[in-house]
Amino acid sequence: MRTTIWFLKGLRNGKKTEKFPKAHPEEPPLWPSKLAGNGTPECPTNAIEQGKWNAGKCISCRLCLPDYKPTGDQSSFRVSGKFPGILSRSFYLYPVDSGTCGACNTELLSILAPQFDASRLNIFFTNTPRHADALVLMGVYTEGMDQVISRAFEAMPDPKLIIALGACAISGGIIGKRPHLSKDSVIEIAGCPPSPYTILEALLRAREGKR
Amino acid sequence: MQYYKTARGNGRYIGQTRSYTIYSDSIDSPVKVEKKPADIIPGELVFNYGPSTGGMIESVRIALSTPGEMIRSVAVDPTYKLRTIKLSGLSLKDAFILVERINGYHSSSYQAAFLKAVEDALLTEQNTGLDEELILQMELERIRSHLNVLERLCEPAGFGVPYHQIAQMREEVTRVISSIFGHRYFFGVHNTPKPSVRIPSGIVTRTKDIETRFALLFESLQDSKIFVNRLQGNGKIEKVWLVGPAARAAGYKYDARIDSPSLDYGRYGFEPYIEDGKDAFARFLVRGNEIFSSFAIVNQIISNGRPDQANLMNIHGTGIGAARVESPQGDLFCYLSINNGSVERIEFCSPSVSNIIAFEQSMQGNIFTDFHFNWESFGIWISEAGVEIE
Amino acid sequence: MNPVYFSLLITAVAMPVGIWWRKASYALVIAGSLEMAVFTLLGSGNLAYPLAYFSLIASIAWILISIFSMTYSAGYGKWLTPLFAMTVFGMMVILESSDYVTFIIGWEIMSIPAYASIGLNKEHWNAAYVFMVFSEISTVFLVIGAIFAVQETGTMDFRFQSLTSDLPLLLIAIGCMTKMGITPFMISEWLPIAHGNAPANDSALFSATMTLMGVFGIARIMLLSPSSIYLGFFMLAVGVLTVFFAALFAYVSENMKMLGGFSTIENNGSILAAIGLYVALGEGVLKTYLLAVIMIFALAHSVAKTGLFIGIGTTRKENFSEVDSSKNSFLTLGWFLVTMSLSGLLPTIGGLGTWMLLESFFMGAYQYGLIGIASVVAGSMIALAEGLASASMMKVLSFSQVHGHPKGSMKNSEGYVLLSTGVILILLFVLANFLIQPQFISGLPSVLVYNGFTIQSKFSAADFGLISPLYVLVIIIFFALAAYLVFDRRKGKLRIVPRWNGGVDFDQYYTSFAYASNIRLMLKGILRTRIRDGNRQMSVVDVFWFAMQSFASGYRRFARQFAYRVMNSSITWYMIYMIVAFMLVLILAFVI
Repeated sequence: MRTTIWFLKGLRNGKKTEKFPKAHPEEPPLWPSKLAGNGTPECPTNAIEQGKWNAGKCISCRLCLPDYKPTGDQSSFRVSGKFPGILSRSFYLYPVDSGTCGACNTELLSILAPQFDASRLNIFFTNTPRHADALVLMGVYTEGMDQVISRAFEAMPDPKLIIALGACAISGGIIGKRPHLSKDSVIEIAGCPPSPYTILEALLRAREGKR
Repeated sequence: MQYYKTARGNGRYIGQTRSYTIYSDSIDSPVKVEKKPADIIPGELVFNYGPSTGGMIESVRIALSTPGEMIRSVAVDPTYKLRTIKLSGLSLKDAFILVERINGYHSSSYQAAFLKAVEDALLTEQNTGLDEELILQMELERIRSHLNVLERLCEPAGFGVPYHQIAQMREEVTRVISSIFGHRYFFGVHNTPKPSVRIPSGIVTRTKDIETRFALLFESLQDSKIFVNRLQGNGKIEKVWLVGPAARAAGYKYDARIDSPSLDYGRYGFEPYIEDGKDAFARFLVRGNEIFSSFAIVNQIISNGRPDQANLMNIHGTGIGAARVESPQGDLFCYLSINNGSVERIEFCSPSVSNIIAFEQSMQGNIFTDFHFNWESFGIWISEAGVEIE
Repeated sequence: MNPVYFSLLITAVAMPVGIWWRKASYALVIAGSLEMAVFTLLGSGNLAYPLAYFSLIASIAWILISIFSMTYSAGYGKWLTPLFAMTVFGMMVILESSDYVTFIIGWEIMSIPAYASIGLNKEHWNAAYVFMVFSEISTVFLVIGAIFAVQETGTMDFRFQSLTSDLPLLLIAIGCMTKMGITPFMISEWLPIAHGNAPANDSALFSATMTLMGVFGIARIMLLSPSSIYLGFFMLAVGVLTVFFAALFAYVSENMKMLGGFSTIENNGSILAAIGLYVALGEGVLKTYLLAVIMIFALAHSVAKTGLFIGIGTTRKENFSEVDSSKNSFLTLGWFLVTMSLSGLLPTIGGLGTWMLLESFFMGAYQYGLIGIASVVAGSMIALAEGLASASMMKVLSFSQVHGHPKGSMKNSEGYVLLSTGVILILLFVLANFLIQPQFISGLPSVLVYNGFTIQSKFSAADFGLISPLYVLVIIIFFALAAYLVFDRRKGKLRIVPRWNGGVDFDQYYTSFAYASNIRLMLKGILRTRIRDGNRQMSVVDVFWFAMQSFASGYRRFARQFAYRVMNSSITWYMIYMIVAFMLVLILAFVI
């Protein structure tokens, strides 16, 4: 039977949310994921140097195949520094696009898709930095956005965090150099672009922080 | 250049690259287009939106001149996140990695335009295997891109259920892409030494399932008076320079899939969907219906098993090529001159530039609450408009 | 001799004094007004309840305006002050008149200096002409009405002689309504145009007290006339239409004085609607209640309107777009209270007036037949207009204050005058129990509201609604203090972050024009909103304005031709000639 009530349509669709992060990801992508291998293959961003793979520089270009292979492991992020326990109840993100290709932006938004449903984990987006707990930096340094980003960070109330999302924001990737504020980031979510699994897990880990 | 001739404007106007004016059948010398600075009338104010705001996916500053409630004129400034991507002098392989990242969300359209331009410049014979693979890529990308636009249209309407259901479908399509091409955004598909495209078993069932569910949802959205009222009459535009879904929603049969020789869509029985409402609702209908036609093409290709793949990255040679493909937002043109296997000069004409101008004109005389619906209905991507390619 | 006549004498002296000593002249006007107020309160004078209120209301307004004028009028030349004093004198004559002739002579003395001060202020005499045309139309109606009344009663005296027909009331009401800017003439905009062109102190004088004389004129004859359902409905309909359109045009006005002018028309429309209901009703409690409504509303209007024009005067500008007002907390508080009162909000006398007015129409709805239906329609239209009026007052309050600079052109004393006006509005609210007939005063001892502290609205023995001004004020102060204390203590915990404008500088502010554009677009049909030049410019066309403007300019063309033929001299002399001629015609009319 067709119904015109959206609420019922929603119920009929059933629950689509994965058990992640309690269970393993249902469909982890191969690229990007943690790479494993050895040797010194060709790498345009020098992500593989002296036999070590640097997640923050990797842009998933696949030029290192077959020396290095993807493992499917999504936990390629780095969390450093201390986090205030105050953020553990609700975590408001303000994304800023410094100079992206658009992929990081959509992957970040994808954590709101029913499969991931970040809101159930009390992670939200806000429309103004004045309500934000964390600034999510994406993309490479651009002249026009430089001052805008510092202003956004100034407009945020304490305590506040910077999250660098994607290879461009962490290391400049292959396009350019990283945005200035990226050096203060305490969370680095690697990938080009990082998959929603990685983003979600990193955000949760960051939020747990030090209670 | 095998398909394109340098001649006086022939065919419909596509747009401008840095040094050419592009028509559907020829390329011509550039026309200087001057943008007049906005004037402010007493009593009026300029409402600033962006560059950094939660309502937009990307960084873009929009200045709305208004005497209150009604929008008199709009100026979109995509240059805040202006990236400079240097391609000249790079080998095809290195340039390709950057071309993929001009617009990451439509990366396969850029890949296709680039690869077809390489083919046009260096090969004399058309490689049909590559065509099929690129068409599969592009049609999957189109489905995801149109889903994204529809999702963004539901958001300002406060339609939580369809918004999330479309988001779910979009994620599923992304997973289909990931399972076929290895990467959720098609990055690096053509860099691998071995074939990187595989058709997993059961994928056809999966795409057909998404299509069925989308059909139901699309019908329900059209039944919803509240939703339709937001879009109908909003952002009417019928100017001649329109590309992609915006043109097809204004009654023009403009589609690079039928009027560009770069990719051969002939064998899939493709016919563009035309609406003549000229407004945001017509663009919504065009996008929704194109999802079905794209699914039809996708299902044909993946039922045939794995398409051929060609690696053009290690070709050496000299030549000039041009290609035009239909990206989800309209015609994407690539001009490429290759000197001994490395890029000498490359120019793109991206659909968002045309769509931004169309948006600016269609917004005049509308009221503030129409703004978001109209903006999203054009599916503009700033990453391809605010970029300098050298 | 009646002691109130001294105030006339003092004000008469103020006229010549004003030519040389500006401040002394204003001081004399203040003294005259004060004496009038005091002796009216003591029960002297020609007037008893309810008409005595008009003297009281006018005196309060004159005092406030005169204090403000002492600093404000400095830049306006030597003629402004004597003309001001003369206008006040004319109004005093009206208030103390006991016969038709004195009343009409007072009316002319009041009007003549008004043309001159409008004309002297601006290079264009246009506004003065418009003002003059409608003033003289009003006089003509007053004269005809008076002739009919005199024929009916056989005496010039209009104190106690009851009228048997409603014709004199109709004619005199039309005459007074012209002066109040109501009905066909209403959106004629003569009032806003003329006021927009006058100096702010004159605008205050005209808006607050000159239109009050119109109300006084109607009220005076109304009390002598029999009740008449048709005349009542006519006035009610005209009043309600006036209220609605004036509120609408006030909201879309860009000129501050014009907004004030329309607000005056709107308030006068409300009073006229109440008068209409009074005239339509037969004897009863509701009729008595309506007298209180008219008095309280007129009081609220006059005092608050004085404040509004004083406030506009402090900006020294005409349009919202040019305002660079002085930042001064006394001024802001004064503005706040005055606009609260004009918005019909508590705890001000304007709030009480609006409540009482709406109550009377709600109670009217309980009357049988046409009156009941008319009351429902009128009440809802007035309520709608009150909403628009609040929005226009918000516009005044925010756009005259928000973009202020620390150093403006006004004197500090002007801020104090505005603040005292605001305080008077609150005081009048609290003291309203003493201004209303005892039959509407009661209490609710069971909830600790003692007898004498509540005002009732009623149309029968039982009460209909209740309000207790003092308790309202106490509760508001209590909660305001409580909120202040609670939040002030938390100051250390507040997170204060900079403003955010998408990451770029602030260089644009919301404009007053944009503020009103929602109504411009929504009521396109009524306001005839035109978007010219493609999408380039939005403007409002006022249909009434076209009609009236062409009427006035037709008169002007005729008058100019006349002047060229007969006098061929300067326009100033011609003006004086016109006025003298008019007065001669009047006197002749009475003699014959």
